[in-house]
Amino acid sequence: MTDRKMVTLTVEGRQVQVPEGTSMLEAAKVAGVLIPHYCYHPGLPVAGVCRMCLVEVEKAPKLAAACATAVADGQVVHVHSDVAREARQGVLEMLLINHPLDCPICDQSGECELQDYTFAEGRKDSRYQEAKRFNPVEDFGGDVLYVPNRCILCTRCVRFMEDVAHDPVLNVSERGDRAVIGKFEGQDLTHPWAGNVVELCPVGALLSKDFLNKARSWDLDRAASICPNCTQGCNSALESRDNVVVRMRPRPNDDVNKFFLCDEGRLNYRWLNRRDRVEFPHVRRADALAPIDWDVAVEAAATALRGRRVFVLASPSLSNEVLFLLSRVIARVGGAGAFRVRHGPEAPLDGVPGLSLRADRAANVQGAGLLGFRNSETPLDGVAAGDALLIVDEELAGVDASALSAAVARAGAVVVIGTTLPPWARDATVVLPIANMAEEEGTFTNVQGRVQRYLQAKAAPGLARPGYAAVGDLLAALGEAAVYFLPADVFRALAVAHPPFAGMTYETLGLRGSVVSTGAGSPAVAAAPT
Amino acid sequence: MSISVKVLTRPIDEVSYVRATMKGMALTFKHMINPHKVTVQYPEHRDPLSARWRGTHRMLTNEDGTAKCVACGLCPAVCPANCIKLVPGEDEQGNRYPLVFEIDEFRCIFCGYCQEVCPEEAIHVGRHYENAEYSRDGFVYDLERLTAQTHPVCEMWDPADPKGE
Repeated sequence: MTDRKMVTLTVEGRQVQVPEGTSMLEAAKVAGVLIPHYCYHPGLPVAGVCRMCLVEVEKAPKLAAACATAVADGQVVHVHSDVAREARQGVLEMLLINHPLDCPICDQSGECELQDYTFAEGRKDSRYQEAKRFNPVEDFGGDVLYVPNRCILCTRCVRFMEDVAHDPVLNVSERGDRAVIGKFEGQDLTHPWAGNVVELCPVGALLSKDFLNKARSWDLDRAASICPNCTQGCNSALESRDNVVVRMRPRPNDDVNKFFLCDEGRLNYRWLNRRDRVEFPHVRRADALAPIDWDVAVEAAATALRGRRVFVLASPSLSNEVLFLLSRVIARVGGAGAFRVRHGPEAPLDGVPGLSLRADRAANVQGAGLLGFRNSETPLDGVAAGDALLIVDEELAGVDASALSAAVARAGAVVVIGTTLPPWARDATVVLPIANMAEEEGTFTNVQGRVQRYLQAKAAPGLARPGYAAVGDLLAALGEAAVYFLPADVFRALAVAHPPFAGMTYETLGLRGSVVSTGAGSPAVAAAPT
Repeated sequence: MSISVKVLTRPIDEVSYVRATMKGMALTFKHMINPHKVTVQYPEHRDPLSARWRGTHRMLTNEDGTAKCVACGLCPAVCPANCIKLVPGEDEQGNRYPLVFEIDEFRCIFCGYCQEVCPEEAIHVGRHYENAEYSRDGFVYDLERLTAQTHPVCEMWDPADPKGE
């Protein structure tokens, strides 16, 4: 940012200083003025087709499109002058000529930019008397449904597919008032990042089939979160209704995911709503697990661990906080920790360097590595005879049944801390129910070593408690003096104990995160699978 | 020290009961001669309701008998008493429709906002007041009940004189 020349201009009477080459629209944002726009999106190349961002510039012969005009020194920009407003009102009237009045059944209503700007500065009625254009709804493949009648041809979707995804599937077909967004013959929106066109669409023309008719935007509760589906750690917002997560959307973060979220990430949220959760602490009584109070269960778990070497099999999707407390358990009674990662095909988004759906499909592989857990394809091999096996939020799906039963037979005691009770867990000595990532607060360390916070989006079922509270209580029962009331307390202790996290607190992380420090100054890399 | 009692002396025409009694009896005899009837012989006779009476709800239907509601979600949003429960869904043709639409008539304050906000002219408050039920549960009207209602609906305002002038 150093040697770029700064220019000073006035937007709506407010003087701002921005680097040379900035668009007027971005400069206005700095001044705190939102210039209405449709085709402009900070993550896409500028097109200047919607004409909605027209503003009046003093001493300029005509109105300027704020998205496509660079700022100049001493410019005086009027966004809400009569001339500019009248021009935008005309644009809105034209856009609404063929736009149906179906807001009541449109999924976008409530978060529709056409609705907002029409409400803000549109005409109260239309002068158009003829019949509106009609085109049938088209299935674009993937998760995307196209409703051409609502389309205002801003071409954000076309530009995203062409310039960001580098998979030019969409185009503008036909001319004039017959123009619609079309697909090239025989091609579908099957690109792994194609779902972003739904968020990019300023109106309800491109809809998510998954979210279709599920909820109204104003009914949703939103929580800042991190996509838990791979190590990229894309910033996301979990949107829930009546304690049920109904969709996950990208949350902008220039350092991680810009404005995007892959389809696999955005659609894989249903496990957060699982109904087959374990809701009560259980302790083995005779032949069966019996539900019981937390105090008794925690004490029973501590008894099972005491005097034995502990082998912790943790999920790499646990928060740094829980993994840190588990490493404290290991340090206290002796033992080792391991985790296994599910893999999937990698899917990069070509237009954004460093952004990709990563092969490691777990949120905190990096953090687990930094906190001393070993990445292993067959983690159960590490269980020695007489070990206490502590399995935390790991369902062991796909693990060979004989290896599993052999490990359980070798172990002196099995303690399960988890969200669900898979069949093998019925042999456990103690089961402690914990919240899943949508139900608690914490941090993940992503593939770049960026530590990012996520917030609670919904309430945990039954007596389930956040993971840090359950493991914290277990630690206290094992004799640890430190008391952790909040995840922030745990993170503070973590930052003290582990040099890569030194100096970090929830306050300094904010909602954008910061990168762990390593000796070499480059992001830490987790140990390769053994 | 003895308690002193203040004795008021009032003029005789103020404290005399004779005048008041005469006045009361005069009214009584007036009604004997010219009866002013306020009692209505309900249910044989019913006073007509105002066109703007707001009573229990009614959902209007399309020709095929389905509710006009498209589950846009505006009535639960506008409802000040929070008495409307709406879960949107999708029918076989892919049309949006209310999977669940329930109004708790006990919570309802009969403000008529739901009728006013409805873009499809589906939900209406009714010109109706006979709502007795044998249980409290009966006052949560579901979609079936709302569409089965036949009473006339509130006009909200006179179309010829919307501002009530």
